[in-house]
Amino acid sequence: MIAQAFVDGLSFSAILLIVALGLAITFGVMKVINLAHGELIMIGAYTAYVVTTLFNLPYMLAIMAAFCTAALVGMLMEIIVIKRLYGRPLETLLATVGISIILQEVVRLLFGTVAKSVVAPFGQSISIGGIIVPYYRLFVILFSILLVVALVLLLYKTRFGMQLRSVSQNREMSQCLGINTSVIDTLTFALGSGLAGIAGAIIAPMRTVSPTMGSEYLMDSFMVVVLGGVGSIAGTNLGALIIGEANQLLTTLGTATFAKFMIFVLIIITIRFRPEGLLSSGGRQ
Amino acid sequence: MAKRIINMESAIGIILVLFFLTYPLYASPFQIGLVGKFIVLILFAISLDLIWGYTGLLSLGHAVFFGLGGYILALSYTFQKGVPMFMQRFGIEEIPFWMSPLKSVQLGFLLGLLIPSLLAALMGYFIFKSRVSGVYFSIMTLAFVSLFELLIINLQAYTGGFNGLTGLPRFPVFGEPLDLIPFYYLIVVITVMIYSICRMLTKMHFGKVLRAIRENEDRVSFLSYEPANYKIFIFTLSGLIAGLAGMLYVSLNGFVSPKEIGVGLSISVILWVAIGGRGYLMGAVIGTLLMNWLSNSLSEQYPSVWQLLTGIAMILVVMFLPDGLYGTIKNRLSMSRK
Repeated sequence: MIAQAFVDGLSFSAILLIVALGLAITFGVMKVINLAHGELIMIGAYTAYVVTTLFNLPYMLAIMAAFCTAALVGMLMEIIVIKRLYGRPLETLLATVGISIILQEVVRLLFGTVAKSVVAPFGQSISIGGIIVPYYRLFVILFSILLVVALVLLLYKTRFGMQLRSVSQNREMSQCLGINTSVIDTLTFALGSGLAGIAGAIIAPMRTVSPTMGSEYLMDSFMVVVLGGVGSIAGTNLGALIIGEANQLLTTLGTATFAKFMIFVLIIITIRFRPEGLLSSGGRQ
Repeated sequence: MAKRIINMESAIGIILVLFFLTYPLYASPFQIGLVGKFIVLILFAISLDLIWGYTGLLSLGHAVFFGLGGYILALSYTFQKGVPMFMQRFGIEEIPFWMSPLKSVQLGFLLGLLIPSLLAALMGYFIFKSRVSGVYFSIMTLAFVSLFELLIINLQAYTGGFNGLTGLPRFPVFGEPLDLIPFYYLIVVITVMIYSICRMLTKMHFGKVLRAIRENEDRVSFLSYEPANYKIFIFTLSGLIAGLAGMLYVSLNGFVSPKEIGVGLSISVILWVAIGGRGYLMGAVIGTLLMNWLSNSLSEQYPSVWQLLTGIAMILVVMFLPDGLYGTIKNRLSMSRK
């Protein structure tokens, strides 16, 4: 019973982690408050729907297509709006609210209000010592680990990753060293958006795909990043693990609403005493 | 120059008040109810402008206080008719102990003011005392309003759930039903009063400290002010006004539902204040009237076009018109005077 709850919590943590990774880049590294993050997830889910259901192509292709579509939308967002608002966080936040409304409406006009569904690539479930795990959940857990490893390799082992980190640490110095910070900003934002798109493709088979689905994940991802610590991938992992497990545990004890409420209180209290989150590289300004 | 600005605000204010006062003479009851609703929303927008426009703290969840005030009063009215149906359906035969103060409408009204302000004070204490930046305040308030919407929907046994609370008495003052027109005038008087109080407050030394916090919080604390206390106070006051607006709204409408008081309303009120001009109380008034009037005439015929337009308007105002309509016109006028 407890073991089952633990494993269910683990798979919820994995979903939270995948959903929050994009935000860990745009919010954590770039300090952009992107309230259209949920809509990027939604775009990823719709891309998965188009690729798998309308074109009957394999699911793995859908994940890649979702990354590309969301990254492209994110890139346009950055170039047209966000680039002009750097250093003004509240204005960025408001502009992204506007973008999220527009994206929702555009998708609603294109696909209609009726919710779509995506068929999971793996059916059935596996039973390990009495604990039932659907194959797809197992895939999500493994995929989340894979995604984190890939992201860490990208950030710490490639030239782009090094440039990205140096721009976030010291913009002027990076410019002096000949890095085109403006291009790095655009690419970083595209990366974060693309990750949100992947998240959309991953969660699409587990639920219905609708224009407003993104807002359900927006707050969860912010909570994960805020709790874990801004600018820290390890923190995002920890945040997702704590919120996922706590949610499952509290749901077993009470109700789902009770669990959400308690987690919110927990995060407010954490911010009171550790404003920079549990794991964070630097102070929060 | 300074005199000219005051004149512009007073002039618009006087015209608007005259318009509101004479409106019932020639309008139909439906139109009066509609304009009454706009005036209540002005009150709500003023409460947001105090915290966002003057102090620079963007509350993305201001509908929580509005909704809380509204729900408390609505529950209180519902209890006048005994244990409501939605409670009986869940096997609750008596009004639970912790809700029993609401059996009295007077107490309910008082709680509708007290609880939103206490909640704001508590949230303010946790967020402002920990020195996290304004952006975190925005995120936490947004998280809070999503949670609030969820709680109202899921705690069906106590709130009526998704359907909300309906069949409330219309235009009541402490349970005594009034007619539409006296109630309309009551709303006008309350709004003008609150507007005047807020205007006085923002012109005072206190208001200057608030604006100083918005411009540079560190310097304010170097001058030995404690910004956190000022922020907590203004957030509390803002919560109180929002709660009052919520109660008036429910009394005017006769029903309340979670859809009306959630994330959507929180975002809309930000747009109204942004378009009118934040940091000017008159800006909040003008933005609310303009956007609600437009929304009312456009949204029913073209709902999705209207949504698309609000999104675009939001981006354009943020990028090109940071002072909003009122602020921009006011600044132009004072510039040309120089």
